[in-house]
Amino acid sequence: MINNVFTIKNLNLFYGKYQALHSINLDIERNKVTALIGPSGCGKSTFLRCLNRMNDLIDSCQIDGEVLYHNDNVYNRNFDVISLRTKVGMVFQKPNPFPMTIYDNIAYGPRCQGIKDKTELNKIVEKSLKNSALWEEVKDRLKDSAMSLSGGQQQRLCIARAIAMEPEVILMDEPTSALDPIATMKIEELINDLKQNYAIVIVTHSMQQAARISDNTAFFHLGELVEYDKTDIIFTTPKEVKTEEYITGRFG
Amino acid sequence: MSMSSKRKRIDNLLQIITYGAASVAVIILSLIVVFVFKNGSGLINLDLITNDYHAQYYNGGIENVTSFSNTPKPNILTEEDYYSLKWGIALTDDIDREGKPIIIVSYIAEDSPLYQMYDKNNLDNDSFAIEVENIVQSIKFYDKDSTLSIYGAQHMINELDAESEFREMVFTSLGGGIRGSLITTLYTIGLTLLFALPVGIFTAIYLNEFAKKNRLTNIIRSMIEMLTGVPSIIFGLMGLAVFVPLTVRYTPADSANILSGSLTLAVILLPVIIRSTEESLKVVPDDFRFASLALGANSTQTTFKVVLPSALPGIMTATLLAIGRIIGESAALIFAIGTAIKDDISIFGKSTTLAVHIWSLLTDEPANIELASTISLIILMIVLILNISVKLLSRSYLKRV
Repeated sequence: MINNVFTIKNLNLFYGKYQALHSINLDIERNKVTALIGPSGCGKSTFLRCLNRMNDLIDSCQIDGEVLYHNDNVYNRNFDVISLRTKVGMVFQKPNPFPMTIYDNIAYGPRCQGIKDKTELNKIVEKSLKNSALWEEVKDRLKDSAMSLSGGQQQRLCIARAIAMEPEVILMDEPTSALDPIATMKIEELINDLKQNYAIVIVTHSMQQAARISDNTAFFHLGELVEYDKTDIIFTTPKEVKTEEYITGRFG
Repeated sequence: MSMSSKRKRIDNLLQIITYGAASVAVIILSLIVVFVFKNGSGLINLDLITNDYHAQYYNGGIENVTSFSNTPKPNILTEEDYYSLKWGIALTDDIDREGKPIIIVSYIAEDSPLYQMYDKNNLDNDSFAIEVENIVQSIKFYDKDSTLSIYGAQHMINELDAESEFREMVFTSLGGGIRGSLITTLYTIGLTLLFALPVGIFTAIYLNEFAKKNRLTNIIRSMIEMLTGVPSIIFGLMGLAVFVPLTVRYTPADSANILSGSLTLAVILLPVIIRSTEESLKVVPDDFRFASLALGANSTQTTFKVVLPSALPGIMTATLLAIGRIIGESAALIFAIGTAIKDDISIFGKSTTLAVHIWSLLTDEPANIELASTISLIILMIVLILNISVKLLSRSYLKRV
């Protein structure tokens, strides 16, 4: 129990009248990569966005059930969303660096939290870029626009930007779907390194990717969590017929 | 087969209409520019921009002339310049910017006795002197009739040459310049933007970033849209009814002034600025907002650190359009700023912008189309310069990010 960062209990989510998630129960473990797989529209991205309350931005979205982050329900009325998001970072499907310099992109989060000291910011930027395996490529051009980087570099920059907040969990929403195979490989290696320090939850459409990098895998279908287990069990001896059909490519 | 040939005919017709419409638009626009250029380019020079509008009148007197000039007529002068060896002055016939005949001083010799003239209106004025390009109105003598500018330069020189003293020479500076109106225009641009930009931009930010999408904000938005279609003369009436009394009450102003005009223009521009700022905020990708919020930034930080900088080129374009409106507006300003053409400009005083200056020239009897075209040309050049500089600015800004 102590190793869980998130415990989700009986989570239901509605977009207006449409129910997108049906009573989800799931634990996210520390220092593990948890992959969320399933066909399009199965609710895996919606579920991911519940963990840092990004669904708040959608007006018609209603939630009941509990998302416990270290035993605090993040959907409690007086829960501090800002501090949740500093502890639970997010990387999006499309690389979305801000139209600023590389340095300013990384320093953005810390600056928003009120860190102004130059040497401290320099340290954060260097550490984050090193941890996201981007330092060697950009150390001489920190003042260049982040838009001048390649797609793969931009996505690693977005990971570095999330790391700069020193979060506990990193959520990744199909982080490699817009990248070529080589950039994808680099990101996967990076995820493998990062799990020593962070819990990672990754939504992916590629079952090979889930098999390669994750420790636990959750299979979603039509807004329900069909099966959740160790990745090698899911991919070798799944308990549910639906799971087997999906991973063997018979539907989805 | 017949279907496709019919389709082809319709396609051709549509293409002809498209090209035709585009050519009509281009031809009309170039006709305007050509008209303004043809009429206005003759008068354009630096003096027009730097000179006062109102000519200064000088009354010079002279007594007991001891030494006369003996500089011969210089070679640079032509047949048209009538020269008095004795007085060392050359006069020439000309017409002023209003098209009336005048006599201009085209040359004064260094040893001209006219430098001994004193200011009859102010005996302490030591810097009093007649200059080249001054306009001689009349010369009054002791024992014979005065010579007036309507008799021409030749008559004036002959009459002067025959005398060795005179009672009074009336001459004026050139005048007709637009310096005052130009400065008023610049003041008005500055003040209007000072009032309109912050209010407009922050309103747009409120509407696009913070306001809930409900019926109230929809009503506000359609009211703003409606205001863009209101004729500006109605805003002018509002300026006259609201801003002129307000400024008269709370500032040293005693009638319509630059401040009341700028406030009126700011109201005219608000809907334009709000609309175009909102449009440029709308095209900022939501990805940036999500990324910022996911990093633990609050919505204020997201708006001002990420969204607003990305929308800046659009806001700059909006500002440029606003400046164009300010320079070109005349109907509202006739009421809100007044039509008095002035040389000494104060924010709380009467004066007029270039557009209203043109209006005054065209309502004169007879209308001065030449000078009006020249001022139009100057306005076109100001707008062109602004356009280019805003383009360069936003390009260098885009390069930086």
